[in-house]
Order: sequence, then C-alpha cells, then structure tokens
Amino acid sequence: MNYIPEKRHSSEYKEEDLRVLAERIYELDTKVYEHLGSSLGRVFTKDRERCVEELVWEMLARNQGHIVRSDLALISNMARTIQERQVKKELMIEYDKILSDVTSLPTSFAEGDVLNEQRSRLNKTSLHTRFSEKDHTIICIGRTFGSGGSEIGFTLADKLKINYYDAEIFSEVLRRLEAEKDHVYDKGGFPYILDQENKDRYVDTRPAFATEQKVTLRQKLKEFSRYHGLPKKDAIFFNQSQLICDMAKKEDFVVMGRCADVILANNKIPHISIYITAPFEQRLRRVMSVNPRLSEKKAREMLNRLDKKHVRYFKFYTGLEWGKAMNYDLCVNSASYGIQGSVDMILRMFKGEEE
Amino acid sequence: MSIAFCIPFIGILLCIAVMPLVKGEWWESHQPIVAAFWSLLFIIPFGVTFGVGKAAETVLECIIGDYLSFIVLLFGLFCVSGNITMEGDLAGSPRVNIILLTIGTLLSSLIGTTGSSMLMVRPIIKMNSWRRHRKHIMVFFIFLVSNIGGCLTPIGDPPLLMGFSRGVPFAWSLHLFPILVFNMVILLFVFYWIDRKNYCREIARGRVPDISKPGTRISIKGLHNLIFIGMIVAAVILSGMLPDLPAFKTAEGTVKGIHIFGEVTLTYPAMIEMGIILLAALLSFKTTSGKIRKKNHFTWGAIKEVAVLFAGIFITMQPALMLLKSVGGSLGLTKPMEMFWVTGALSSFLDNTPTYLVFLTTSGAMEFTNGLATTLGRIPVGMLTAISCGAVFMGANTYIGNAPNFMVKSISDENGIHMPSFFGYIVWSFCILVPVFLLDTLVFFR
Repeated sequence: MNYIPEKRHSSEYKEEDLRVLAERIYELDTKVYEHLGSSLGRVFTKDRERCVEELVWEMLARNQGHIVRSDLALISNMARTIQERQVKKELMIEYDKILSDVTSLPTSFAEGDVLNEQRSRLNKTSLHTRFSEKDHTIICIGRTFGSGGSEIGFTLADKLKINYYDAEIFSEVLRRLEAEKDHVYDKGGFPYILDQENKDRYVDTRPAFATEQKVTLRQKLKEFSRYHGLPKKDAIFFNQSQLICDMAKKEDFVVMGRCADVILANNKIPHISIYITAPFEQRLRRVMSVNPRLSEKKAREMLNRLDKKHVRYFKFYTGLEWGKAMNYDLCVNSASYGIQGSVDMILRMFKGEEE
Repeated sequence: MSIAFCIPFIGILLCIAVMPLVKGEWWESHQPIVAAFWSLLFIIPFGVTFGVGKAAETVLECIIGDYLSFIVLLFGLFCVSGNITMEGDLAGSPRVNIILLTIGTLLSSLIGTTGSSMLMVRPIIKMNSWRRHRKHIMVFFIFLVSNIGGCLTPIGDPPLLMGFSRGVPFAWSLHLFPILVFNMVILLFVFYWIDRKNYCREIARGRVPDISKPGTRISIKGLHNLIFIGMIVAAVILSGMLPDLPAFKTAEGTVKGIHIFGEVTLTYPAMIEMGIILLAALLSFKTTSGKIRKKNHFTWGAIKEVAVLFAGIFITMQPALMLLKSVGGSLGLTKPMEMFWVTGALSSFLDNTPTYLVFLTTSGAMEFTNGLATTLGRIPVGMLTAISCGAVFMGANTYIGNAPNFMVKSISDENGIHMPSFFGYIVWSFCILVPVFLLDTLVFFR
C-alpha cells in the first residue's frame, strides 16, 4: 500500500506522512537483515526512534530525497542477496513502492518562518505545546571558568529540587569502564570538585586539562583493549553520552558542561541549553578572589588556557562553536545579574512557562 | 593492427563506469549480456580481419592462459576468507583503522594483495559499522592493501611473480621496502586526517559505537581456514616455479600441458595451481559451519560480478595488449621515471601482468651492460624498480587496475557502504595517489 500519493504539493505533506514513510524504510531494513542473519553493514544501526527521526529530518531539511534514496539503494543491495525467492520478491516489491514514494517527494519543504522545528521541539520552554508529561526537566549549562556558572547551576538545581551533576558523571563513567586506577582526567569539566562540607562551593583540586602522564607500552596496550581501541578521551565521551541519555530517561536534573546539550539534541531528548559567561576581567577577578594565592598573571594564563581547551573539546565532539549564541536556547552574562540574579532570571523563564 | 579494435574495451569500461549510475537495476541483471556484447564486438571484426582461427586462438589464449587462473585464484581466496569471521567490540576509529590498514598492507606481500584484501575487508567493514561515512576507508584500503602492499615479494602481486619466473631473484623485491614505507607513511598520514574529520562528523551527529562493556573481546571463528590460505599461496608460488623445472618442459623448451587449439595450451603447472586452489576452497567449505558464512553475509554476488565483467575485460583488452607488445619497444623509454609512469598508466587500465612483462622485455632487450641478470637480459636496478612499482602501485588508480579492487568495491557495496562510482574513484586516486606518485618520482625515479 502506498501511503503517500504521487505528485503532491509540498504543502500537502505533513510530517506524519514522512514519519510513516521513514518507518517503512526502517522496517524494510530490519526485515532484510532478519532474513540475511548478518548484521554486517546494516544501514540503520541505531535504535528505531532515532533512525526514523533522522530519516524524517533528511527528507525535510535536505529538501531532497537523494540521501534517503542512497540509503534505499544500499538496502536493496542486501535484499537482492536473499536466498528465499518469495521473501526476496516481497521485499523488493516493498522497496519499489518505497522508492516510488521517496521519488515523488517535493524538492522543497521551505517556509518563511525562521523557527527550526527540530531544535524548537527539544526546547523545554516549548513544553506546553510539544511535551508530554513523561518528559523530564533537564537543564544543560555550559559555562566559562570564573563566570559563576557552576554555582548558578547548583543553586538552580537546589531551587527546582532536582539533581545536579557535574564530576559525578565522570566518576560513574570511570566506574563503568573499570578505569578508576588509570590516569584519566576530566576533560569535560573544570578544575574543581565539590566541597563535601559546603555543597554550594567548589575547591580547586581536580587537575582537568592537565598534561597526561607518560604511560608505558604495556599500559598503552592495556588501555587499547580497555577502551575498545578508541582514544581514552573518546571512550569516556561515548560512555558519558550514553550515561547522560540513560539518566535523562529516568530523572530531572541540571548537568554542567560535557556537551550534554548537543548529546541530548542528537538523541532527540528535550532539554533547555543555557550558556553562562562574563567579561574576561570579571572572571579574572572572581578566580583570584576564590583562590587568593593565584597571581594575576597565572590566573590570566589559566583562564586563557581553559577557554582554548574547552573550545577545542567542544568543537571536536560536537562540530559546533563553544559559546556561540546560536547554539544555545539562552545565553546569560552573569556579570549583569550576579549569581542569584541569574538563577532568578532562569527560574522566572522556567516558571513563567509552567504557569 | 588498427587502434579501432580497442573500441570494445573502451565501451565495456564506459559501461562499468556509467551504467550503475544511469540504469542501476538493469545493469545488475544484464551484466553478462553487456560483457558478451562488447566481447563479440571485438571478436567478430577481429575474426573478419585476421581470420577465424586467429580470433579463436586469441580469445582462447586469453581465457585459458590468463583469465582462468585469475578467476580461480580470486574464487579460492573469496571462498576461504568468507569462512573466517571476526567478532568483537573493537570500535572503528582513525587509530584502529590505521592499525588495520598497516597490518593489511604488510600482509599483502605475504599472502598476496587478493588474499589480504579478502581476509581484511570484512573485519574493517564490521568494526566501522557504527559509522555512516565509510567510503574513504575502503578507498584507502584499495590503495594500500589491494595494491601498494603487494610490492615486497613475488607472492604479493602477479607481475612480480612473472618477474621471478623470468629470473628476478625471489628476495629482490624486498629492496622496494623503503619505497613501500615512504608511500605508506604519506598515504596513512593523509588517511588519518580524512578519517579523523569523518570520525568527528559522526560523533557530532550523535553516532556512538557500542562500548558499554569494559574491555575488548575479539573472537575469530574459522581460523583453521588460514591453512587453506596457506595452500593457495603455495599454489601461486608453485605456478611461478614449476614451469622452470625440466619435468614440466618439452624438448623444445615450452611448458608441457594439454593442447587446446593452435598455440593455446593449458599447462600442467597452471592445472596444478588451479587444482590446489579449488581443493582448498572445497575443503574450506566442507570444514566450516554455514553459520560463519551467514554471519559474514557471504553471497556469490561479488565474485559473480567480477567473473562476468572481467571475462569481458580480458577479451576486449587483447587488442590493446597486442598494440602495446608491438610498439612497447619503440616507445623510446630509457629512464626509470618514464618506465614508472608508462608502466603505471597502462597498468591502471590494462592487466598489469602483461604490461609489466612488455616493459621488462623492452628493458632486457636494451642490452645494458650492468644490472640484474634475468632470462630477458640485464636490467638496471633502477629500471626494474620503476617497472615493478609502476605495475604494482598504479593498479590502484582505477577499479579495474587490479583484481581485488573490484572485489572490495562489490563486497563494500553489498554491505552498506556507498562506494564511489568508477569515475568518482578515479577522482580519489587522481587527488591522492597521483601526487604521491609524483613524490615517488622525485625521490626514487629521477
């Protein structure tokens, strides 16, 4: 059965139509691989929901079905190698139908609005129209060192009575990878850990972004096996990604850094992304006041170094520019509001939405 | 002979290049007809011009003398390697891919470019299955594993085996090691940056490998098939050595065999080689569970496609090879640089074994007073190096330049990788390989 009649105008297509088509493509891929009994080179390797989302996105955003057609060609390559004639015939008939539907898609779905539906759909502030009750409140905060972002995040979590995660994620990942004893540094965080006595304060002890210690060949081989042949930092990032997504399905929380906003966006998990920064001199002053033993020169160097390393880290894992306003839902200059003022402002936005 | 006889060869190449793009499904089901059409388009005019006997002899010579052993070797390695499967959770990253490509490249000289390609292609596809953009990995795989890696021993690539049977010492090709390392380093460096860029793109789009369990577990099943790969390699070496033994020579000095037609003979050494290879394939199938083949997604599609298309290519290529044999000596090639490029350029499209032989013979006939003593005459080391490198390296320039190229493409196509088209691949080789070969020229062949 053809779900999309041929030669329709773009305005006649609803996203639901494309979703049905995407489901059919995914289904075809699954059936082909079930019959072949080999997962070698499967076209859609991720979970169903995500693959379908991606397919819909490709059909909508690329304005052309050529990528989808290319995927279909790969599925048909595999389908043609199925031994059972009847099964092969049925699958090829379905393939032909899908191909004809994909070919009949209009070349453009463009409209005048600047709204990026994909992004907007993930935005917690649009909850009232787009979110069901089962979605959790997740706030991702990216921040520059010395901007008070961690304190803002912690206070926000406290006010909202939800969990706060920063270095805890990293520790859990190390536990998962059985890498507690390795020389692994938290490259997705900042150089401090939570002061257990004063939960809203941080002390400067964690050597994030420190130059890694030299390891012997034996240790390297051990690490090669432990991290599945991946560089250590990549293995940790992949595990962090998985952990953040798992947590997002279970609870509300505020998460600091770790590219969590992009990870959640890639996994179609609703969240709100906030970037907190302050002018360099203001951050410098704060760093020096929190750590009086630090000279101005050293504090300046540290801030510059951390900023650069964070830009590189974010770019490597997300392909995006760290701190660029267009990559976030909300950007806050904490120097304009102070820590409490920033928290209040975010809360007002949040509560206003709920009201 | 008129150059017009080369039109069917150009025709079949154009079909391979264009048809999958313009009429993909039709092309897949009609390849035998197309191959037969172009073959007949050569055979009939050739028969009319030179006589039916000459045409029959030319076709039979190419089928029995060249194609049969070519396709049997490919078939044997395809079957045996399809019975070895690797399972594990090693994730395809630039680092892992560099390691795999390095192993594959070095393995090529030990078990041949075809053997190494067939053995390594599935593991590399499997490890990178979490990634979507993988064609560059397979392109570099063809560059390094299916071609360049085969330069170190006569087992590596058929042209060198021909050189060995013409008196080039077995270990002589090891002198090409610095050139191999030079090419490997440059190509792997370029690969690393291309792969890293694509790897970052995958991560940025939220693709992650499944590394939820700590530690890597790798299991290889069907490992006993390595014995059969060893059998095949031994058969290839024997095919190069047996013709020189007195027991296989007639009183006139020709190799003994079954006379087919005119001067066409199916030689005993070729029969022994093919017999051993087919036995290895049979034993491999008999001793390996079908589940392993299922896991490997083993189908006959890739080998069928190569067998059909290369039958057409081998037949239609004959006039080009005849022309080359007749004019090769008069091309005036006297410098290693010229030999490297001309042997290479022709090996990119023609079978590299006869091309190598033409220029080896040409060099041998130049009456050099110093150099390596071969049955064809003395050949200066620089010239031999250039001819060997040209024939082996530049087979990577096109999908049809070397037997495993097309096999790797077909297996990749069948396993979820968008491989470049015929011309798309040439663009890759033009942008990456040609600059590397220019550097080779400057460093080694000036």
